[in-house]
Amino acid sequence: MRRAVRAVRVRRRAAPAALAFLGTACSGSFGMPRGATEQGADIFRLWQIFFVTAIPVAGVVYGLIFWSVFRYRRRRSEDPDALGSQFRGNHRLEVVYMGIPILIVIGLFAASAAVEVRVDRVSSDPAVVVNVEAYQWGWRFTYPGQGVTVVSPPSGEFVAGPQMVLPLGQTTRIVLTSNDVIHAFWVPDFLYKHDAIPGRTFAFDIAPTRTGTFYGECAEFCGLNHAYMTFSVRVVQPAEFAMWLEQLRAGQAAA
Amino acid sequence: MRTTVWMMLALFAFGAISGTIYWFVTYEPAGTLLLWSFSLMPLIVAGYLVLHGGVRVGTPADDPEATPDRAAGQELGTFPAASTWPVVLVLGSITVGASLVYGLLLLPVGLGVMALAVLGLMRESRD
Amino acid sequence: MERPVAAQPEPPHRVGPVERLTSTDHKNVGILYCVTAFGFFLVGGALAGLMRVELTEPARQVVSTQAYNTLFTIHGTVMIFLFVAPFGIGLANYLIPLQIGAPDMAFPRLNLTSYWFFAGAGLLILLSGVASASGGAAMGWTAYTPLSELRYSPGVGLDLWILGIVLVAISNVMGGVNILTTVFLMRAPGMTMWRLPIFTWNMVVTAILGLVAFPPAVAAFALLFIDRRLGGHAFDPLGGGDPALYQHLFWFLGHPEVYILILPFFGIITEVIPVFSRKPLFGYLGIVLATIAIGALSMGVWAHHMFTTGVVNNPFFSAMSLLIAVPTGVKFFAWTGTMWRGKIHFTVPMLFALAFLLNFLIGGVTGVMLASAPIDFHMNDSYFVVAHFHYTIMGGSVFAIFAGIYFWFPKMTGVMLRERLGRVVAALLFVGFNLTFWPQFVLGLRGFPRRYVSYPADIGFDTPNLVSTIGYAVLFAGVVVFLADVAVSLWRRVPAGDDPWDANSLEWVTTSPPPEHNFDALPQIRSERPAFDLRHPELAP
Repeated sequence: MRRAVRAVRVRRRAAPAALAFLGTACSGSFGMPRGATEQGADIFRLWQIFFVTAIPVAGVVYGLIFWSVFRYRRRRSEDPDALGSQFRGNHRLEVVYMGIPILIVIGLFAASAAVEVRVDRVSSDPAVVVNVEAYQWGWRFTYPGQGVTVVSPPSGEFVAGPQMVLPLGQTTRIVLTSNDVIHAFWVPDFLYKHDAIPGRTFAFDIAPTRTGTFYGECAEFCGLNHAYMTFSVRVVQPAEFAMWLEQLRAGQAAA
Repeated sequence: MRTTVWMMLALFAFGAISGTIYWFVTYEPAGTLLLWSFSLMPLIVAGYLVLHGGVRVGTPADDPEATPDRAAGQELGTFPAASTWPVVLVLGSITVGASLVYGLLLLPVGLGVMALAVLGLMRESRD
Repeated sequence: MERPVAAQPEPPHRVGPVERLTSTDHKNVGILYCVTAFGFFLVGGALAGLMRVELTEPARQVVSTQAYNTLFTIHGTVMIFLFVAPFGIGLANYLIPLQIGAPDMAFPRLNLTSYWFFAGAGLLILLSGVASASGGAAMGWTAYTPLSELRYSPGVGLDLWILGIVLVAISNVMGGVNILTTVFLMRAPGMTMWRLPIFTWNMVVTAILGLVAFPPAVAAFALLFIDRRLGGHAFDPLGGGDPALYQHLFWFLGHPEVYILILPFFGIITEVIPVFSRKPLFGYLGIVLATIAIGALSMGVWAHHMFTTGVVNNPFFSAMSLLIAVPTGVKFFAWTGTMWRGKIHFTVPMLFALAFLLNFLIGGVTGVMLASAPIDFHMNDSYFVVAHFHYTIMGGSVFAIFAGIYFWFPKMTGVMLRERLGRVVAALLFVGFNLTFWPQFVLGLRGFPRRYVSYPADIGFDTPNLVSTIGYAVLFAGVVVFLADVAVSLWRRVPAGDDPWDANSLEWVTTSPPPEHNFDALPQIRSERPAFDLRHPELAP
């Protein structure tokens, strides 16, 4: 009796974890954040396409393996020297199992290329521009023309890091560079990162679709305190953004 | 042997074609040069095999009906049993490398040891 | 029925240490390579253990940040250049002459020299990890500039590392020359290219890749060394150089390198599955063409490692990378087609081969995902990539290595490994491997970057890291049991005989271990399964 009770308890503890894992699958996110920008939403849908394509592919291959292993296993009663069926190939089948993957791959490429065009698109008139400079080991966010700069405190442990504030529903242009080695600007919730390469600047657009505070990290190994170069992006209503900008401008003008 | 030559020519074609496509798609010089120069290696091997590798004559290895006695008496080459010179060569190379990092005084030592090893290997090959 | 004897068993002869280190016999060089490479596996695995302990909990700090950065640098370098690739070359050195019916490799002393360059490289690379007071090489095995320029990486560790990599490159190029010459020019009568065992075919393509891919990397490292020590600016923006150029040159080797890391091991699986399904390989021609296609395509995908740099044409590389999935799929269907309607024997090599199939599929599918540039914008430089390449290189190649060890150990030593212990090893490694690396997909998706020494608590990284470390402990147990298996087997010495598996290729026709010249007499070669044809002359084509 006691053994049965213990088993039920273990199952109960495992259930929430399993449900949480399955939950991501059932919710359709398959483990990836949903994307808090327009560009991120595009990437998220592409991920769903890839994952949903992977399921039948893996299913077919695993199915073939498990079926073969079960159905064609040598049974103990059989002669140990018995041979399997000695066919060497099947041309029609081989053409099919080459042709279908080619079609799948072409489809996946078309989907990826379409999303990349949209994600890479830079608008001619962004509402906000933020110059981002990466350096060992922190970030400087400058809002040019506004006289506002946000800088990392010295790091070496997990501190809050600098915070970039952006308006909801408007396009922000990030202009990214590095002052020393290669870094990378990554906000996992935006499903987007870009390398910051010294001697080059890159511009990309993000159009946030959700308010909130989103964790940001450096995603290109840059030396000792690479892990401690965290930052955050806070998306707020446009009115609140304007107020924040005004406050900082006043504060920095006074300083 | 013909199989090998065709395979090498196919690799050459792949490198040359992909390099050309790459150039007109990207105008990026490093990758173009890399793809084009990669295509040269199989071309060189294919050329050698056609000129000297018995592609036209055919070898017993390429004859599906050949019996083992077809190769009887064939001189395959000499296969030395042992050699200490490889170790010496590598010790010399390490010394040369270390000299570039720790001090050029070691460089003539390393080069000398490498030269010794190469000479040793050459003399051994004549035995 | 009386089987024609290819060789008489020779009296066992103890190989002394001097002979072991100077004999140019391809079998000796092969064993030197494999044993040395396996030793580096244990070293690399220990380094990984330290990394996993560090990452188990956010607050845990067992090594300094600088030491951690050196750990992952040396771990990656050791596993890639000093374990997986040389193990493949070692197996090739041992098997190719036997599989094609030759007495040795074409250039035996070059063969031994290439081993010693590998050993010397190993010494330099290990040294580079501890070389300077400020810490050893700590820039990641990719050594991106400007981080690897002198002012950001001042110690001599990086320079020693560069020299080690150059020696490894020399070793690989020598090996490639040897393999191609041997296979092209020293096959036995009747052993046409279309009757070669697939392991040998895969080594041919691997050798070609090594020959074309290593030289540009040597150029890149020479330029880096000149930048660091001789006043150059090839990759330094402050001197008018370009860090992106380094990445092009590095990845032009880097990507074919990972195919060098998998093709020999596809070859092992393709040897094992037909034997233990008691069937010929399904779709031989397709597999050969697929292998050549994989080799060729692998030269054209390098910048998929650079999708987030903004300096390359992403669609070109995305298309090429997605295309590689097609020949890989052909191989998978050939393997399952071989098992279909077979009589499957679950020997230890076959168990590892099945584990390979299950693991590598995940590695391959996640590779297809990463080939999409927009998806890679999120996944690049995250633990998703780390999980992907461990599923292919470890779940794939390393499992195939164990399959190969259990399969060919009897041929090399004349002695069988233990079947029961082998099953335990397979189970522990399979469970441990998946426990270690599946959570890393989760970590990457949630936003955990690579090469991070630690992480903040309670943002979703804690549990997967804990599970991953538990997985490492299981892996560790599996390797310990494996070493015990080898020790017990060498002590018990259960004789293997010429062909304990009823296998297919030519090496099983001669004694275990083979005599110095490999064969006293060769059978007639009628197909890609000469040993099988000798046992079943009524079925020979």
